[in-house]
Amino acid sequence: MEQLADAPGTPMSSRWIEAHGRQSTIITAIFARAGFEPIAPPVIQPADLFLDLIGEDLRARTYVFTDPDGAELCLRPDLTIPATRLYLDRFGETGRPARFSYNGVVFRYQRGGGTLARPREFSQAGIESFAPDNPAQAEAEILALSAESIRAAGLRAFTFRVGDLGIFNALLDAIDMPERWRAQLSHHFWQHAAFRRQLQKLMKPEEFGRALAEPLFQAIEAARRGTIRHGDAVVALEQHLERQGLVVAGTRTLDEIAWQLEGLAADLKSPPLDPRAALLLDAYIKLATPARAAPDAIRALLKGTTIDIEPALARFEERLRLCAQEGIDMADAPFSGGFGRQFEYYTGFVFEILSPLLGEEEPLAGGGRYDRLVEAIGAPSPVTAVGSAIHTDRLLLAVRGGRP
Amino acid sequence: MSDVTTDKLVLAVPSKGRLMEETAQLFARGGLKLARTGNDRGYRGELQGLPGVEVAFVSASEIADLLRKGEVHLGVTGEDLLRDLIPEAETDVEFLKALGFGHADVVVAVPDFWIDVSTMSDLEEAALLYRRRHGTRMRVATKYRTLTRMFFSGHRYGGEARSVDTVSMYRIVESLGATEGAPGAGLAELIVDITSTGSTLKANSLRVLDDGIILKSEANLVMSRRAAWTDETLALKDAVLGSLG
Repeated sequence: MEQLADAPGTPMSSRWIEAHGRQSTIITAIFARAGFEPIAPPVIQPADLFLDLIGEDLRARTYVFTDPDGAELCLRPDLTIPATRLYLDRFGETGRPARFSYNGVVFRYQRGGGTLARPREFSQAGIESFAPDNPAQAEAEILALSAESIRAAGLRAFTFRVGDLGIFNALLDAIDMPERWRAQLSHHFWQHAAFRRQLQKLMKPEEFGRALAEPLFQAIEAARRGTIRHGDAVVALEQHLERQGLVVAGTRTLDEIAWQLEGLAADLKSPPLDPRAALLLDAYIKLATPARAAPDAIRALLKGTTIDIEPALARFEERLRLCAQEGIDMADAPFSGGFGRQFEYYTGFVFEILSPLLGEEEPLAGGGRYDRLVEAIGAPSPVTAVGSAIHTDRLLLAVRGGRP
Repeated sequence: MSDVTTDKLVLAVPSKGRLMEETAQLFARGGLKLARTGNDRGYRGELQGLPGVEVAFVSASEIADLLRKGEVHLGVTGEDLLRDLIPEAETDVEFLKALGFGHADVVVAVPDFWIDVSTMSDLEEAALLYRRRHGTRMRVATKYRTLTRMFFSGHRYGGEARSVDTVSMYRIVESLGATEGAPGAGLAELIVDITSTGSTLKANSLRVLDDGIILKSEANLVMSRRAAWTDETLALKDAVLGSLG
């Protein structure tokens, strides 16, 4: 017999459906009262955009398909990107402030069809604020509204977990190193093992060396030193490839290759990353402390160095203060330096809301600051953005003490 | 579960090509003749000399699927397909014996003129710049989605535990045939594909990365842990394995 039942983890009882509906009404009313405009982006989205913008974990779990016209599409695995597309569509030109809310289903593959706490299709109720006049205030407000919604849904016991990619980026900017090393480290933030490995490599850059044939090597070296133009190095590369009989094809350009070679040549000449700086970055990534103690813990790490990231630390403190003003006491929330959620579009403050029942692996809500997403989708310049989404099926599960 | 209802042992073997011929020769060396029943084009057969074994002739990739679902007891197919189609292979199947034929490597290959890229670490760097320049991730053409994902995120088959270079700034585009032509045709920037002599890669101006061998694959006799096993079928499994010496 073929199994015809729904996937495990799909709650089917009418009591559940009614309770979920009531919960949605409560949450969307809170969002509306706070002045967020409800939107309903399409469920079917262009695959390319999502696959390019989300992290590896989610990429592997996105339902992608080709329609009869040959278009590559996906079932939205999240609503932040569709909301951002809508913002770009309406206000991309002007960059004016906008506040959106949504309550809709998203889809993520789960092995074996999923579980109650990890269903493959579930609802997200969320809010996104674009180009807010006061970004720190917007962060506090979004966090507070998420917490208020969870409380109004009937859950009393929940906790926060926070991180701040703004502090990490400030640290990277303040440490002396070539710009391309910064880009590499920043890119590896979400995979801690890879991040540490990159740090180790940067401490001994001579190992980067490539044996390059003369006269190409001379040309690359000269371009690196600035004695010839980059364009001349590209020509030297082209001649080299022709001599070697190597076919040039595809989308990757000779310009990119010459650029990489110049970077590698520069690495060979660069002084290695200061081991103290590497230790500092490693210590920051590992840092785990209550939020209120985080700025001083970071200051302690920086003691004896000339590195100054006071503005980023002050922003963190200001945010805690604003949250307290909104009635959310974040002082005891665990902060970790390496916490960035598994979405590579975050650029600043990030948070998750956890229940004792489901724990850290299955947060009830999460969000943060993503200042580069609007630009990545097509805006002419970066637009400040902050948002949060509640996993309403998980929330209901937590409210019902785990009963389906 | 239609196939596993009797005390017969169902053995899936490749339905055509070199893999089928070599499988037949393998059993022949053990004194068993792989024969089709009914007309010659049938998809059912038997192992003459070992009553109780029912043979299913199916495509190599389908064999992995049948083993994963437990719809056959045993199967002969390439490790590449098994590892790719059964992400958690160890829980669903047991590799009984490497069979010494069907050798091929699953590799990461890039256009030969990328002289700045010879390792996975170089690839990640090149991919970062590519993303900044083109606004999209580099595309990897492959039919091996799982193997690619696992390898690029740091998993190493054969279990070297040391830390390895990962690549994350990429996306997979599915390729169901002639993968090696994808970069030349502008459909992808690089590929993950199978190679035995390397000549097809060479003909397409592609080169394997120094640390880009994902899996050294060969044909394996594999047992499904999900199939319904009885004392009779277990004994038959031992007999099949025993005949292979």
